Amino acid sequence: MDIRKSKFYKAWFKDAWPYITGAVLLSVFQIVTLAATGNPWGVSGVLANWGAWIVELFGGNVDKWYYFSSEGAQATLANGFLKDAGTMRNLGIIIGALFATLMASQFKIKKLKSKKQLIAAILGGLLMGYGARVGFGCNIGALFSGIASMSLSGWVYAVFLFVGAYVGSKLLIKFFM
Amino acid sequence: MAEYELDCFGEACPIPLVKAEKKLDEMVVGDILIVLIDHSCAMKNVPEWARKQGHNVEIDEVDDGEWEVVIEKMK
Amino acid sequence: MSETQTGTTRIQRSQSSRTRSRKPKKNQIPYAIGVFAAIAAIGIILSTVSANLGIFWFTGSIFGFILQRSRFCFTASMRDPSLTGSTTVTRAVLIAFAITTIGFWAIKYGAFLRGLPIPGQGYIAPVSFATAIGALFFGIGMVIAGGCASGTLMRVGEGFTMQLISLLFFIIGSLWGAHDFGWWKLNVISEGRPVFLPDVLGWGGAIVVQLLLIGCLYVMADKWENRKKESDS
Repeated sequence: MDIRKSKFYKAWFKDAWPYITGAVLLSVFQIVTLAATGNPWGVSGVLANWGAWIVELFGGNVDKWYYFSSEGAQATLANGFLKDAGTMRNLGIIIGALFATLMASQFKIKKLKSKKQLIAAILGGLLMGYGARVGFGCNIGALFSGIASMSLSGWVYAVFLFVGAYVGSKLLIKFFM
Repeated sequence: MAEYELDCFGEACPIPLVKAEKKLDEMVVGDILIVLIDHSCAMKNVPEWARKQGHNVEIDEVDDGEWEVVIEKMK
Repeated sequence: MSETQTGTTRIQRSQSSRTRSRKPKKNQIPYAIGVFAAIAAIGIILSTVSANLGIFWFTGSIFGFILQRSRFCFTASMRDPSLTGSTTVTRAVLIAFAITTIGFWAIKYGAFLRGLPIPGQGYIAPVSFATAIGALFFGIGMVIAGGCASGTLMRVGEGFTMQLISLLFFIIGSLWGAHDFGWWKLNVISEGRPVFLPDVLGWGGAIVVQLLLIGCLYVMADKWENRKKESDS
């Protein structure tokens, strides 16, 4: 029997799920994450640690930076990349998405199309990275987890994120299309 | 009835949708627009948007992670 | 909605475009099984190091799988209402907010009632001008780069070179932000303070107010989409 003809294969692995299904399942695992680890889901804080490890790899040192000066941050950095739980979660997201794509037979390396895309990726990445540090997180840590935690910061973040997305759309259409 | 092709390979959201929207505006009822997409999210939001606008939509997976979204302008 | 679903009538395409050369599609499921085995093996090894590492690894893989399968995109939820008038993703995100609010409330309130420390309070960030600036930067960046942090990681897994580059510069931007963080903390963030809604509204009040707010936003999003549709036709 060819698994690709099965209706369960099509529904679970081939066709895109409705957004609502995604919303419910992400919520379930958000709650699982808080219950099992004592903290909600976060993504971008880990990326700052990755940066610190890269700096250390090249012989630099970030211990003097206020951001990394706390005991917790120092312990995380000293523990190393492979023993950091947040790192494992972020790598998990990549490999989980890879599994999903392969399972649908839709994996393809997508090359950059133009210089514009390169500039958009660089500029967008920098803005997100800086914004996430100053604003205490990204769409997951500051927005999703913030609002779910009933923090006022999550709602304030949402309002200005919306404004930012509006400005970003205008810039995208004007300069990057 | 004219047939147009819109090459959106390598384009990320929301560019394929914005381009398709612009192109459809220039077309007349009955024309067909074929949007070439290799972005899995655009593959979902372009057809969804077009159906909501009342156009006929067909999706053809032409290769691994490559789709042709065929839109027939209805109004 | 099925990807191969056909419209009410079959669209008549010209022969030339239909018979374009088409490679036979490859079956990537064997690779998928390999990746699945790797996820399981790495997870088991990590679990022997520490249970926590294993949990993070497995939940991460599940998050990645769900994000990719449902094409869930926090960027689109913020961008589409103004750009295309569609609020499908926005409404899905609001549903996620409502469900997690209920779950988090139960976990936090339960801990409070039993006199235990409330978990996850580190995510109650101070509200200051920096929150606004950070969110504004993040909002602009995610639309230009075609994905936020989780979306970027997911698209790296899908094989996008563009998002691999934006991930690299996300890391550089994070370092830049971390470097300047001392200044922000001293001059801006210290002006604000964290606000945990149950502290202000009470445990019952907080969940009622928050769910009502989410409900109102849901109705507004629905009306917004239909308003756009009517003005178009």
